[in-house]
Amino acid sequence: MNTQQFLLSAWMWNPVVLAIAAAALALYLIAFRAADRIGWFVLALLVFLLTLVSPINALADGYLFSAHMLQHISLLLIVPGLLLVGLPRSFSLKWRPRILAHPLAGWIAGVGAMWFWHWPTLCNAAVTSRSVYAVQTVSLLILGTLFWSQVIAPREAERLSPPGAVLYLFSACVSCSALGIILTFSPLTVCPVYAIPAADPLGITNMIRADWAITPERDQQIGGLLMWVPMCLIYLGAIFAQIARWFGEPAPARTTSA
Amino acid sequence: MNEIAAVLERTGLLSPEEREHWKMAWLSTVDHKRIGILYMMTGLVFFVIGGIEALLIRLQLAVPRSTLLHPDTYNMVFTMHGTTMIFLVAMPVLFGLANYIVPLQIGARDMAFPRLNAYSFWLVPFGGILLHFSFLSGGAPAVGWFAYAPLSETPYSSQSGVDYWALSLLVLGIGSVGANINFIATVLCSRAPQMTLRRLPLFSWMIFVNAFLVILALPVLNAGLVMLLIDRLLNTHFFLMPGGSAIMWQHIFWAFGHPEVYIVAIPAFGLLSEIIPVFSRKPIFGYEFVAGSTVAIAFLSLGVWAHHMFTVGLGHTIDLFFVASSMLIAIPTGVKVLNWSATMIGGRIHFDTPMLFCIAALVQFLLAGLTGVSHAVAPLDWQTKNSYYLVAHFHFVFVGLIVFAILGALHYWVPKMSGRMLSERLGKWTFWLMVIGFNMTFITQHFLGLAGMPRRVFTYSDLPGWGWMNMVATVGTFFMTAASLLFVWNLIVSLLNGRKATDNPWNAWTLEWATTSPPPHENFRALPPIQSRRPLWDIAHPDRPDPVVGSRGRIDQFKPEKNKTSIICFILSETGFFGVLILAFLYYNASPQPGPNSHELDLLTTGLFSICLFASSFTIWRAETGLRNNQQRRMIGWLGATIVLGGIFIAGQGFEYWHLFKSGVSVSSNLFATTFFTLTGFHGLHVCVGLIALLILLGLALAGDSRKKPWPALDAVGLYWHFVDVVWVFVLSVVYILPRLQ
Repeated sequence: MNTQQFLLSAWMWNPVVLAIAAAALALYLIAFRAADRIGWFVLALLVFLLTLVSPINALADGYLFSAHMLQHISLLLIVPGLLLVGLPRSFSLKWRPRILAHPLAGWIAGVGAMWFWHWPTLCNAAVTSRSVYAVQTVSLLILGTLFWSQVIAPREAERLSPPGAVLYLFSACVSCSALGIILTFSPLTVCPVYAIPAADPLGITNMIRADWAITPERDQQIGGLLMWVPMCLIYLGAIFAQIARWFGEPAPARTTSA
Repeated sequence: MNEIAAVLERTGLLSPEEREHWKMAWLSTVDHKRIGILYMMTGLVFFVIGGIEALLIRLQLAVPRSTLLHPDTYNMVFTMHGTTMIFLVAMPVLFGLANYIVPLQIGARDMAFPRLNAYSFWLVPFGGILLHFSFLSGGAPAVGWFAYAPLSETPYSSQSGVDYWALSLLVLGIGSVGANINFIATVLCSRAPQMTLRRLPLFSWMIFVNAFLVILALPVLNAGLVMLLIDRLLNTHFFLMPGGSAIMWQHIFWAFGHPEVYIVAIPAFGLLSEIIPVFSRKPIFGYEFVAGSTVAIAFLSLGVWAHHMFTVGLGHTIDLFFVASSMLIAIPTGVKVLNWSATMIGGRIHFDTPMLFCIAALVQFLLAGLTGVSHAVAPLDWQTKNSYYLVAHFHFVFVGLIVFAILGALHYWVPKMSGRMLSERLGKWTFWLMVIGFNMTFITQHFLGLAGMPRRVFTYSDLPGWGWMNMVATVGTFFMTAASLLFVWNLIVSLLNGRKATDNPWNAWTLEWATTSPPPHENFRALPPIQSRRPLWDIAHPDRPDPVVGSRGRIDQFKPEKNKTSIICFILSETGFFGVLILAFLYYNASPQPGPNSHELDLLTTGLFSICLFASSFTIWRAETGLRNNQQRRMIGWLGATIVLGGIFIAGQGFEYWHLFKSGVSVSSNLFATTFFTLTGFHGLHVCVGLIALLILLGLALAGDSRKKPWPALDAVGLYWHFVDVVWVFVLSVVYILPRLQ
């Protein structure tokens, strides 16, 4: 199979994924009608679909660690972030139990998800077992939402102050970079199932190794670098948004008293 | 010598009572203004030393096949030139300026911790003396300012020069962290009530942001230096074969080294952002963008160090990512350049010396940025990295931007510091000599580099064009020398009989100009109202004041307790240090090696004394509760319990070490042993420091000091103690538990 054939044929229209996306859209329309932020919500669903039905998913399914990392970043950061931005500003996230609303809980959720799912045993299990994979996908979405809600909760009152949010995002960025650095330079294979593919149902191993020139070592490096650099840029983008929020506060009318 | 005292007294830098003991009055000072001046004077002394070294380098390179300097001497001179100019000139002078200006700009009486400030300053001359002592001990370091391993290791540099280098950088690093914790605490905790965070003048804002960069980046270097010293003194091999990795040193060095460039550049950006608006008679264009892009630069700079290592051979994959991320830095820096330019457009520009230097800095920095982008392109970088093109690039940053901005700032603020104007005529001469000399030296070096002249060489063959270009570069340095001498002359003359400076000679708008020149002991007799970013403009033009910059209340007024703030910053900084050590442990122990390994460790004993350490977090929390509830005896009891538990932990660790030594495991056995003793040893050291702090608290509490309200020391030490415990959670899992799971 060559690259073009692969890119055209490797779309897996998983009915569960499609149903979830459709249900989410339906719920949104019922709850908020066509609120003006619906564009962001639809974008979130599109990214969600792209992550789980496109060739990225096929590659992540036992072929490429780096594709798995793309999925991971997308499900943990991009989709939950867009979802939250897509909610109407009046919507309140009432986390129960209350402890989930604590910044430390959000931080541990966002950073912990990264470290937890890259434990070699779990990373392997998520590839070899469909049910673990499903758990991973759902957990990433939930943990990502917990993480972002501290920064971009629809209600201003439920967010961290801009300087606090900058520290929150920056420390998360550093922690993920640390893992990315470990993955990039580790002489060990973090997710062995990608290094020695058990089977080749799509018949694309040759294409990956020969046409794309991605060896298992390089694959893990790309995965690590994706977490180290572009993922940090997402946090950085959010940091800019916080700075804009900080300086963008409308100035109150001038008071005459000193 | 009494003439000096007389001059100082006449200008107001010495009070009449201090005249008899004027030297002690200055050397024992804790006043931020005097410390700032001491910082700058120290920087000036080392600038002379580093400048002479630069002259020697250029004299040696003036003609092909020169034999003026012995090759070894040349290597020492250029190593010392680089180290001196960065650590003993650029950083002290900028920190000195910040020390002087920031408290004035934010309407504070002094820095948050005046004694810490004095301590941080005094580490600079001591570090400098330590570094230069290497000349007497058999030879200065000759390994370049980056001290690449394995050249810097004992087999290749057997003399003690590198040891002095590493020790002095450690001393200076600790001083820098102390100074910058102080800047953060000062800006957050000592601002005038109306000086909300969003009204901060840009220089103060940038020093504040930069301080975070310093406290995060310097500990990375410190960790690397500690590892290098352990290698050299205890015969281990972090950065040496077998097992060690020379590339690891480069990663650690540049993980510090790249932010370091911005650590000295961001304050310079701050200087430009203060001076350009004043001499353009316009407010800065896009304050928010200048302030925000600073944060962007600071964050980006922490994650792009690998672009210093394109020629090392990290592989195309890694190169590709860092090409992209490095280029991103051009965006926020470009934003700044546009803002400064837009500030000048349509302004009534006054071409006084400070402004001339700033305009030159802007132009030179633009060129530095362009060559910088060319270095972000890996294939181009492979061609030019080790050539004079790179030398030219970073001198455009360090001299073209930073030294020019500093000179501009000194011409701008010295009247405030001494109460005497500098001579404009001499200033303009300084400026033109400096600009012409600088460009003769360093524009030429771009072409030398492109013609293939490698850097770090002590001489070169007579290839076409190399001879005359090097000669031009050398002549340029003499222009710069003349400019520097002229500047010092200008300072002396103005101090002796310069025109008296008014409070606000430049009609500037920030608070430092609202007090006398020089300012009185605690800076302000009364503060003007502050409602915008230019309070003095508002006073001068009540009919058309600047728009009020809002105060959001809670956040803008954010004024945390200073002891707690400083300890949190210290913890942030220590996290960087331990982060490097933990990553190093993981890296070196990724694959098992011959000799002792973690299975020799007794998890049970360690588990037991670890429980004591964790329990001590609980006891100190009880002690804090006791203090809050005003139960002195209970508080002292829990404090004692904490000390006992911490003591048990240290004793347990000592027992473990003794056990290992007895079975023949020492720090140089293999890399497991090296990393084990380094990581647990440094943690143990921190526990000991914590214990000392707790014992001091206990002594104070027994003496009744804790009856005073408030008593913030316990909270601060408590935070530190919790941090030490949390670090142990990580050490325990990485060293003891993780290897057993594999």
